[in-house]
Amino acid sequence: MKEEYEAIVVGAGHAGCEAALALARKGHKTLLTTISLDAVAFLACNPSIGGSAKGQLVSEVDALGGEMGIIADKTTLQIRMLNRGRGPAVQSLRAQTDKTQYHTEMKKVVESTPNLFLKQAEVVDIKQKGENIFVKTAVGDIFVAKVVVFATGVYLDSRIIIGSYTEKVGPNGFKNAKKLSSSLRKLGFELQRFKTGTPARVNKRSIDFSQLEVQPGDDDIQSFSFMTDKKAKNSANCYLTYTNPTTHEIIKANLDKAPAISGEIKGVGPRYCPSIEIKIVRFADKDRHQLFLEPEAASTSEIYLQGFSTSMPADIQKEMIHSVKGLENAEIMRDAYAIEYDCINPIQLKPSLESKICEGMFFAGQINGTSGYEEAAAQGIIAGINAALKLEGKDPLILSRSDAYIGVLIDDIVTKGTSEPYRMMTSRAEYRLSLRQDNADLRLTEIGRKVGLVDDKRWKRFLAKKRSLELAKQKILEKMKIDKKIKEFFEKNGENVPKNSISYKEMLKRSNIDAFKINKEFGIFQGLNNDVLNELNLITKFEGYLKQQEEIIEKMKKMEREIIPEDFDYQKQKGLKIETIQKLSQVRPLNLGQASRVSGVSPADIAVLSVLIKKFKEKKGEK
Amino acid sequence: MNTTIAAISTPLGKGAISIVRMSGENALKIALKVFSCSQKIEPRKMVLGNLNLGQGSEKCLMVYFKAPFSYTGEDVVEFQIHGGIVVTRLALEKLVENGAKLAEPGEFTKRAFENGKISLDEAEAVVNEINSESEAQLKIALSSASGKLLKQTKKLQNNLTELLAEIEVSMDYPEEDENEIVRDKIFSVLKQTQNEIDQTITNAESLRFAKNGVNVALVGKTNVGKSSLLNALIGEEKAIVTSTKGTTRDVVEASCDIEGVRFNFYDTAGIRESKNAIEKIGIEKSKKFLAESDVVLFVVDGSADLDDDDKNVLKLLKKPYFVVVNKCDKQRHLKKQQNEIEVSALTGQNIEKLKKTIFDSVIKDEIDFSSSIVGNERQLDHLKNASKQIKSFFRHKNESLEILSMLIKSIWNELGKITGETENEDIISMIFSKFCVGK
Repeated sequence: MKEEYEAIVVGAGHAGCEAALALARKGHKTLLTTISLDAVAFLACNPSIGGSAKGQLVSEVDALGGEMGIIADKTTLQIRMLNRGRGPAVQSLRAQTDKTQYHTEMKKVVESTPNLFLKQAEVVDIKQKGENIFVKTAVGDIFVAKVVVFATGVYLDSRIIIGSYTEKVGPNGFKNAKKLSSSLRKLGFELQRFKTGTPARVNKRSIDFSQLEVQPGDDDIQSFSFMTDKKAKNSANCYLTYTNPTTHEIIKANLDKAPAISGEIKGVGPRYCPSIEIKIVRFADKDRHQLFLEPEAASTSEIYLQGFSTSMPADIQKEMIHSVKGLENAEIMRDAYAIEYDCINPIQLKPSLESKICEGMFFAGQINGTSGYEEAAAQGIIAGINAALKLEGKDPLILSRSDAYIGVLIDDIVTKGTSEPYRMMTSRAEYRLSLRQDNADLRLTEIGRKVGLVDDKRWKRFLAKKRSLELAKQKILEKMKIDKKIKEFFEKNGENVPKNSISYKEMLKRSNIDAFKINKEFGIFQGLNNDVLNELNLITKFEGYLKQQEEIIEKMKKMEREIIPEDFDYQKQKGLKIETIQKLSQVRPLNLGQASRVSGVSPADIAVLSVLIKKFKEKKGEK
Repeated sequence: MNTTIAAISTPLGKGAISIVRMSGENALKIALKVFSCSQKIEPRKMVLGNLNLGQGSEKCLMVYFKAPFSYTGEDVVEFQIHGGIVVTRLALEKLVENGAKLAEPGEFTKRAFENGKISLDEAEAVVNEINSESEAQLKIALSSASGKLLKQTKKLQNNLTELLAEIEVSMDYPEEDENEIVRDKIFSVLKQTQNEIDQTITNAESLRFAKNGVNVALVGKTNVGKSSLLNALIGEEKAIVTSTKGTTRDVVEASCDIEGVRFNFYDTAGIRESKNAIEKIGIEKSKKFLAESDVVLFVVDGSADLDDDDKNVLKLLKKPYFVVVNKCDKQRHLKKQQNEIEVSALTGQNIEKLKKTIFDSVIKDEIDFSSSIVGNERQLDHLKNASKQIKSFFRHKNESLEILSMLIKSIWNELGKITGETENEDIISMIFSKFCVGK
């Protein structure tokens, strides 16, 4: 029996859900398979969404019409804006979310979306015949579609490791996908072996909170989603404690039992997320490490021990945890474990996330060698959109590095590949001043509308915001004579009083004055909400820097407009170095801009390439 | 719009005239900032005027080609300059100061190609030109003079990499409060970077070949004819002959241009063993000077064999030298020497040959030499930009951490153009190797 769909999404984690929702919402009959229906949108590690750079990703997914931000807002237990004092572009929201609720809320949305069919199934084999892709499941079902999105997370041939104990399963004891790896290999995908891990969960009642520092949420609560009206409440606290020399002694004494060090674990782990034993070895001079205690869900007493990821044997883990202040009597409910899994080399993908070797196959999330729920969702929505555009016979959506963090993320992995689980960081975004969480809606809602994922409600709200912002921008250009009131306002705020006249815009540029103060004093922005005032404030204060960045962006865009034809054969070109030819023919960049970012390609190579492309195009034109 | 680019487009070192060329929409505007003449400037008409070089002006010819009737198809201005490397280099420097950018390898030809001035069939030639010029640049970057500069710049850039890693980690891992960077540290690292950059610029600017010419030491005992040799060497040239003021250094200096390059000759009088205290000082100075010179000419009298005085001088020579056998108009009594050149200061015999030998010993390859100037010029240009940016950084020192980081990143990138290291991944790697972060 064959069942036909327009699209199939393999895996219903954070990437798979966004991809499937995008496809179905764009009107395509989509099958979404998952190895367990209880693992849909499962927060396998931290019970949290957002964080530095990741908060930006969530808001971008939201602006394109994705689901993650909405669900995160709905299931928030505590929320904080990080980096408040360090500048607007690096500010990111981070929410503790209810793990159970997050899963059920996302599952509800997926189940109730028209055109979307959620099914528990293990995919074991993929075959491509002409335009059709055949997906076979473990029980023998065969599904056919024109496009398939692979979002298998860490389930590919995965195994967990706790000391000398290892088990071929997925995260949290879910079944893993045993056969899909070899099927992908047969299709020509290069697989790499990565590793990640998660810390232990302990029972809340066994923690001595009196010895811990409290980490409360913000008073001024903000949301990920542009559409969230009902602000979340802080209903739970996080706590901070530290490891100590005793903890470190225990670890050092048992390093021979640590699979991460003995060589038992062969997968490449992320540098940014080392297990505690790796931290102790690599940073031997540090006498303590931070541990955050985070609530897993409102419905459970499980507490997540952030900072204590390990693959030590269970008895050692217990000893380690009990050496920490406040955790002396902790009851361990789940042991920490490391997990190894297969992923593809993302250099085999186009910037649309479609495979270069198998047409119609798209990849998103951890299977691409990235890490993190937000990174997964970001790729998921793009893979879903592009799979849909492919079905519709349209050009793919490719966000540039100056459009979004999503653009940076995808460009990085498809241009440079990754040799460890890739995590988004603000320092990866060279235009981060323009890529703020607060302007994600302004940057991407129009694109989301164009691809058909932004509904009328969101669109209307967006247009209203844009209009108010435009009005406000006009408003602040007015010049005024200095009167008593203005004079007093300046003096009150410790600013030098201007001589003749001043505009609100010039006022805004003073460091002690902001839009809120102006509104309070002069009431000129009545009826505008805080979002708009905040935006006005930022773009005025940072006008000079933003302009500077715009110029650099324009230079980059100029290079990106120089498209490299798909049939341009690097091997046949005279004048390029052999090494350069090899690198470029592997990546096959879309344009000169992307080519210039391939590692080891020099400016002189790019100059040569631009000449060769021009010649190639003109020769083709002659024929 | 294309930026306006400039370069020295004739091989330096050889030939009496060098051409500095500019192309781009601002070419004429920039040219007229440094060039003044009484004639009207018309396309394709050569005019004579003065090139203002800051420390003086130089007569030169200028010709303007209006787009699209030029080599590149853009507005092009060319200066024809007499007066060797020093002046040519100064002229290029002035153009850059006034807004021109140094041309990338093969950029003039590339523009000509892009504007359809060169046919498709010639594309390969363009490619070759880019490749060979960039290879030459690379070679220069690794050569001793600029290699040192490269090493220094790498060190400076690395300091900034560490600084950026520290700033970035505090923003990318805000939960880890132990990674907080102190603003004062940022300012002190930048201050120090600026001092070092400025020092490097000063040092590099005095790169001797280009600025001060090649130093040639004449050594030998008294009465072998060093002074007359010196006169013969500079005699025919329109050279400036000066005596070093006072007797601070017991040497006489004279300069002349050989094929466009300035050569400074130093007659180190009276090197011999002595017990006299004052003479000893003079000898020490001569030794020091010998060590610093680029070429050493050991002058001997060909009409007599080497005596103890000659041999004493010989002992002082620690590096390769030419033996100039003077007085070849007389009967030769001296045995054949290694690396010898027979000349007669009196009759002028072989003086030209001697000059050629000296020239060739320093300036080995004309392309290399020319791009060494340009290569250095480029490095200096980036260093100057970096220095300028640090100055402006301090005007923004009250901004938030992320703005400071953006400004530092831009300085880091500028240095990266010298070192070739502009991969953001370097900063990220530094974060992970220096800081303990993560769950």
